Amino acid sequence: MSSTIPESQTLIKKGDERNLWTRREFFGFAGWGAFLSAIGLGLMGFLRMLFPRVLFEPIPIFQAGKPSDYVDGEVSEKYKEEQRVWIERNAGKIIAIQAICTHLGCTPRWLGLESKFKCPCHGSGFTKEGINFEGPAPRPLERLAIRLNDEGDLVVDKSKKFLYEKGQWEDPDSFVVL
Amino acid sequence: MAESQDPSKKQLIPASSLSPDKVHTWPHLVRNEFIVGLIAMIGITIWSIVIDAPLEEPANPTRTPNPSKAPWYFLGLQEMLVYFDPWMAGVVLPSLIIVGLMLIPYIDVNPKGAGYYTFRERKFAVSMFCFGFLVLWIFLITVGVFLRGPGWNFFAPWQEWDPHKVVALTNVDLNMWVAQTFGLDFLRGEVMAALFGLGLIGAYYSVGVTFYLWKGKANETIQKLGPIRYGIVAFLFLTMMALPIKMILRWTLNIKYICKLPWIGLNI
Amino acid sequence: MNLIQLKAKYEEIRKLVVESYVWKSIFRHGYKDTPRNRILMTASNVFLHLHPSKIRRHGIKISYTWCAGGLTFLFFLILTVTGVILMFYYRPVAEYAFIDMKYLQFDVPFGMIMRNMHRWAAHGMVILVMLHMFRVFMTGSYKPPREFNWIVGVLLLVLTFLLSFTGYLLPWDQLSIWAVTVGTNMARATPLLGNEGPLAEQMRNLTGLITPRYDARSLLTAGTIVGAPTLLRFYVLHCIFIPIVAAVLMIVHFWRVRKDGGISGPL
Repeated sequence: MSSTIPESQTLIKKGDERNLWTRREFFGFAGWGAFLSAIGLGLMGFLRMLFPRVLFEPIPIFQAGKPSDYVDGEVSEKYKEEQRVWIERNAGKIIAIQAICTHLGCTPRWLGLESKFKCPCHGSGFTKEGINFEGPAPRPLERLAIRLNDEGDLVVDKSKKFLYEKGQWEDPDSFVVL
Repeated sequence: MAESQDPSKKQLIPASSLSPDKVHTWPHLVRNEFIVGLIAMIGITIWSIVIDAPLEEPANPTRTPNPSKAPWYFLGLQEMLVYFDPWMAGVVLPSLIIVGLMLIPYIDVNPKGAGYYTFRERKFAVSMFCFGFLVLWIFLITVGVFLRGPGWNFFAPWQEWDPHKVVALTNVDLNMWVAQTFGLDFLRGEVMAALFGLGLIGAYYSVGVTFYLWKGKANETIQKLGPIRYGIVAFLFLTMMALPIKMILRWTLNIKYICKLPWIGLNI
Repeated sequence: MNLIQLKAKYEEIRKLVVESYVWKSIFRHGYKDTPRNRILMTASNVFLHLHPSKIRRHGIKISYTWCAGGLTFLFFLILTVTGVILMFYYRPVAEYAFIDMKYLQFDVPFGMIMRNMHRWAAHGMVILVMLHMFRVFMTGSYKPPREFNWIVGVLLLVLTFLLSFTGYLLPWDQLSIWAVTVGTNMARATPLLGNEGPLAEQMRNLTGLITPRYDARSLLTAGTIVGAPTLLRFYVLHCIFIPIVAAVLMIVHFWRVRKDGGISGPL
């Protein structure tokens, strides 16, 4: 007599319509749930780990001398190298312009003879005020918070920006009146 | 065709009956591995949450802590440094340990004991390994971790570590000790001392040869080993025992060197 | 809708997913517990096909192997994962190493547990590899035909010690540099190759080498002192060189287990 290899039988009985799930199914769900949760939590933990709680970056606040150091109508490049900021004294106001081109972030040059800021990377041009008028720059140069401290020194805070297109150049924190 | 030869009517048997003592890896082995792995992961995670890894003061090349200990798994070797010079304790003996370990399968000719636990059938092998591993390696690590304090002096676990503890260590070389004890003044000379030391070492290792000549013919295992293998086993065994022997000589008689060879810069 | 209907809906969606073309292209066999699938789970899985599809019954007993070898490998994987995570913040520069340890422990979210886990898993791996060696000896699983695999195992033992030793230096605290000083000082006592070892004088006369600048010790310390170059050298050894060598040897080790007849057992 020949005997055949017994047919493969599924060894799981599905829960019938009266029960929600069998014990086996429950542990199946629990197991997969635990596994996926562990992976998910691990991934989230990994992502959170990539953002440290303390950053050691340079202090954004610096002192820029006294208003009398600046000649009226001129753009000073005194703090351009160290702080990437122009100090401009114009029409009774002192402003701090950030020397970062609004196109792709290069450092423009102040061309005094032509009275404009010109970026060497792609040719963006800005007026003495900082308004973009030529080249690919999409918006004017940004201004930074500037104030006088008790000793009469100018104090610039690079962490506070003022954008023309948002009407923020009217904000008194963005200029010092003489 | 006869029925028994008709291929379509051949007797079919389940494949599992061919190897009845085998089980599927999935689920049986993988399940066991998974559970053990899970417990290990949970264990190490809880351990890591509860106990912080040490971080001492920043590195200062001008200030050496007292005591200055190697990582715990090397403390057995650092302990050996008390009894042997650095070249021996730090290079030769560790190399011999590694080489000796590698040689084990080639010098163990006993066919018994493969694939199950037994002591009775492998008395020599198990005793030797346990002596080397548990007594020498593990025990010396425990001594180094718990019982050695400032100046590498002995401190009981409950004693406070006193960095100023001074223990008089009047060590004497073996040739001097023999000369003093037995009045053999000719051993005081450098050359005689060296020859004496070398002679002793030669005599020590020749114990292995003597044993072979004495018991070799009668002993089945030694016959199976053959002279080369036996020589290796004897050499490794005697070298391994040299450590506790030297330690005992140091503790009892304050012996420092067995043999001094200053001309090539080595002392044993 | 009530739970029964919810479950029916779930079943419907599940059926749609697991019978889709995309799913079937990834998961090539079903999950039903049939003998065929049991074999396939092992044989057609890239990680599990390290195992044979069937194994002798005594081989699955935990009281036989204690999973010591497997746990050693698991701990190696834990160390690799935690190690890579630590690499996001640790700089192997003498000036920054210690500060980065503090940074990791206090300013990086989960940094403390990652560092702790790395350290304790390292100790754990050293202990486990020694336990594994002890077990293999006690079950005589180095006897023919498994002699060569035992040798590969001893090499892996040495590499485990070296990994732990090179890693020990990286926190750059007092424990680190002095433990490494003690360890590397042993190297200068190497006969012939160490500048303070036996026959060093003779080697210098013969070759002009084996000075404090050029010997076995300065090879390790990348200089005459344990300093910044030592840190960088040990970092590369710890993170790249030794792990790659160890990984290759592990591949050989696991392969040989299968080739030599699987898990050892009574004949």
